[in-house]
Amino acid sequence: MLEHVLNGLYYGSILFMIASGMTIIFGVLGILNLAHGELYALGAFCAFSIVGFVAGQVAAPTGPATTIVFGLVVLAGSLAAAAVLLPVGGALEAAFIRPIYDRDEVYQLLLTYGLLLVLTDVMKFVWGPSPVDVGVFSAINEIPTTELVGFSYPSYNVLVILIGVAVFAWLAWFFDRTKTGRIVRATAINREMSTAIGVSTDRMFTLVFAIGAFFAGFGGAMVSIGPSSASLGMGLSWLVLSFVVIVIGGLGSLKGAFVGALLVGVSSRVVTPYYPQLELAVPFLLMVLVLLVRPEGLYGTWGEIQ
Amino acid sequence: MLEARDLRKEFGELRATDDVSLEFGKTDGEMVFIVGPNGAGKTTLINLLTGLLEPDQGSVVVHGEENGAPVEDDITGMAPEERVRRGLVRSFQIVHVFEEMTVRENLRVAVLSRYDKTLSMRSVDDSHEEVETEIDGLLERFRLTDVQDEVAETLPHGDRKLLDVAMSFGLDPTYLLLDEPTAGVATREKEYVIETIVEASEADGVTTVTIEHDMDLVKEYADRLVVLHEGAVFREGDPSLLETDSELRRVLLGVNE
Amino acid sequence: MSRFLVERDGQTRVRLSEGMELTKSQSVLAVLGLVVLFAVPDITRLTSLSFQAIHRGILFGLAAVGLNLLLRHTELVSFGHAAFFGVGAYGAAVLASHFDVSSGLLLLVGSVLASTAIAVLIGYFVAGYLDIYFALLTLAFNQVLYAFVLQSGYFNYSDGLSVRPDGLNPPTLFGLQWTSSGYDLILYYFTVVVLVVSLLAMWKLVNSPFGRALDAIGQDRTRARFVGIPVEKYVWIAFAISGVYGGLAGGLFALLQLHVSPEPTLYAFVSGEILFMAILGGFGTLVGPVIGGVVLVYLLIQAPFYVEYYNALTGLVLIAVVLFLPEGILGSIPKIGTGLARRRSDPGLLREDVATVGSSLRRGVSRAVTTVRIIVFGVN
Repeated sequence: MLEHVLNGLYYGSILFMIASGMTIIFGVLGILNLAHGELYALGAFCAFSIVGFVAGQVAAPTGPATTIVFGLVVLAGSLAAAAVLLPVGGALEAAFIRPIYDRDEVYQLLLTYGLLLVLTDVMKFVWGPSPVDVGVFSAINEIPTTELVGFSYPSYNVLVILIGVAVFAWLAWFFDRTKTGRIVRATAINREMSTAIGVSTDRMFTLVFAIGAFFAGFGGAMVSIGPSSASLGMGLSWLVLSFVVIVIGGLGSLKGAFVGALLVGVSSRVVTPYYPQLELAVPFLLMVLVLLVRPEGLYGTWGEIQ
Repeated sequence: MLEARDLRKEFGELRATDDVSLEFGKTDGEMVFIVGPNGAGKTTLINLLTGLLEPDQGSVVVHGEENGAPVEDDITGMAPEERVRRGLVRSFQIVHVFEEMTVRENLRVAVLSRYDKTLSMRSVDDSHEEVETEIDGLLERFRLTDVQDEVAETLPHGDRKLLDVAMSFGLDPTYLLLDEPTAGVATREKEYVIETIVEASEADGVTTVTIEHDMDLVKEYADRLVVLHEGAVFREGDPSLLETDSELRRVLLGVNE
Repeated sequence: MSRFLVERDGQTRVRLSEGMELTKSQSVLAVLGLVVLFAVPDITRLTSLSFQAIHRGILFGLAAVGLNLLLRHTELVSFGHAAFFGVGAYGAAVLASHFDVSSGLLLLVGSVLASTAIAVLIGYFVAGYLDIYFALLTLAFNQVLYAFVLQSGYFNYSDGLSVRPDGLNPPTLFGLQWTSSGYDLILYYFTVVVLVVSLLAMWKLVNSPFGRALDAIGQDRTRARFVGIPVEKYVWIAFAISGVYGGLAGGLFALLQLHVSPEPTLYAFVSGEILFMAILGGFGTLVGPVIGGVVLVYLLIQAPFYVEYYNALTGLVLIAVVLFLPEGILGSIPKIGTGLARRRSDPGLLREDVATVGSSLRRGVSRAVTTVRIIVFGVN
């Protein structure tokens, strides 16, 4: 049971890294980014190229000291992979999203869906149509398991859970305590007013989109260098699940995305071993339930970052 | 007669409507004006009466007559559209019309609804003769005939306001609740708008309950005055109170005498 | 004036029935469209166009016509229309493979009943929601259905069900067993008839007081409520009608494919495609969604045979539609028509068009480059 809960937390942490970007982008820009799953996939593919190169520079772990070195190298590689998403996200926002802020939401959905399709093929062009395999990174699984009250669990998964919490903490700090974060929130609430006091909304929106893309890419990198691989279709199911998460949490709510991700993660991982036929349906049933009880989601604020 | 019985509504700590009991339409075609400073709970009261909000306590009752005997009809908790069918019609402070339809189409929706024809499968444009005749009448009464084929969102503000009210009249109201019908209307047009409303109400014997900030208009047209202050009824009576009651003047205008 | 011609606003109009009139050019287009529809089997025989792809496109287009009732009139974005399409398809498949019903028409009746029931059920829950919540809630119900079918033995998991009642032959049409090519042809003509009747019914519906009430709900829900329209109930009814169209299309799809599996009929992305068909074709028009359906399905099915990067091609088409043709293909025809006429008299305008598209592309690229420079180098 505890193992299932931990699996759920691991799953939820990854989910949060994608959903947080989606919810921030929706909260500030008012755009539901359907291409977000592809940014996540792009992060995974970049991780394979970058981490593959970086990890190749150090030997596979043999003892505790080398394990830590190896782990740090992998982490640095994932961050580098995610960093690629910053300019990519910024460029996408500037070139495609910026002209459609004032359009009907249906056009915004259509455009980001078009971006989704284009991005898929860009990745197909760069990395080829077949999935990129685990290969050299299987060394990660050789990192010893963590002992938790007499119960062993892969260290890597624990690391991911901790990183998920850290990402949440950083985002909360950024939007709550930093000047830039507060300006972004102010822009989300009132664009005209922000423009009037000399804030460049274009800059803010680009920044937010780039941050969202960064964490999606980071999630992708983390999930793919674990015991997994990167494939072209990987973004789609996560995209749909991220919808569910941010709707449960309340669109535009960061706290909601965090709670929603963990809720979806844990509930689906706890239920699945006992009722495998419910695996796909659990998140959606959860979402329908939440919407019927609290239509605006758990922390719904209608498009303000909180 | 429309009765508010001990209505109470709270938003968190704020008691927006504080045990309000009022009666409207004691005589047919009565014109009641509700006045009060901002935040006095005027709009909340209308929202409670028309079903946009539900009270925490108290009830809304329509008094009628059946076979010569008086009957009470408790409409608390009833959906707004059901209340409309019982003759309880309202307008909003901000104009609510169907922006992409023409003036005529706007009115047609209202009149079709009143005749219970919204589920009819006949063509909307050239059947239902009685509906079209009625629309012609409304257009004329509200002086909208010339702009009947204009799309609502392109109209000047005064005409939009009149269209809003005309739609309400198209529903054949017994009680018409108007939330600041002259808000945003240019001063020289205010008189014209309110006069049009008064004429129409008098012709149909409609009881009107109007929120209004322009005291000159209130003095000129009100049969009865209701003053709300901090959610409760502060004064009720003849509009001449506005001149004689100094405490009222202080509350309303912030004037010290 | 005869019974079929009326004079209105100084224009002669063709009158089909009460309230259903066409201008002269619309009539010409309608007749032309009908001729093309009926000639599709012959056209595809003579050219390299794919008959199957066009047929499937029309079916998805029919589902999009249903979706458009919500999108155009109540202004609600349904992201879950594959639920109706898929349930319709499965309705027919279940009757054929579990109950050995062999009549194609009966299978279709099953489709419509099943999808209507589902639409009534889902509609009950979603009718009170708006905007993005409506979209996401319909998507969620869609995915619940998909997950349910995918993991249920009764529906044979991801492999799906066959629509061959005796395990070998296709269902009968009009009481007769047809050869394979004859079956496709008869089914196609039947589809065309269903399409035309469905379009006429939708036309009648949106021009009725009920259609106007739906418009009213879409344009101002609060006002609609306060003119006495029972908003949730009417949205519910519209949702159910929309489901009938989806089920009809799904049922015909089952008859065409003779096999139904979850992925191409029920998956959420099918919902997205149905929505985009409506917009691509022009959701401000009655027939637009059908055209959008044929174009998008044709692109999705045929592009992989010609280009390796077919997703990107489709994506670029969608982006181009959003940026340059927001009213969709059919919705832009009047504009394109007058535009073309002006360009014929003044070819210089054409150069301006190219310049406009070019400069908007250049601006996009330069914005992107600037942004990247700022992010990467920290300077403007």
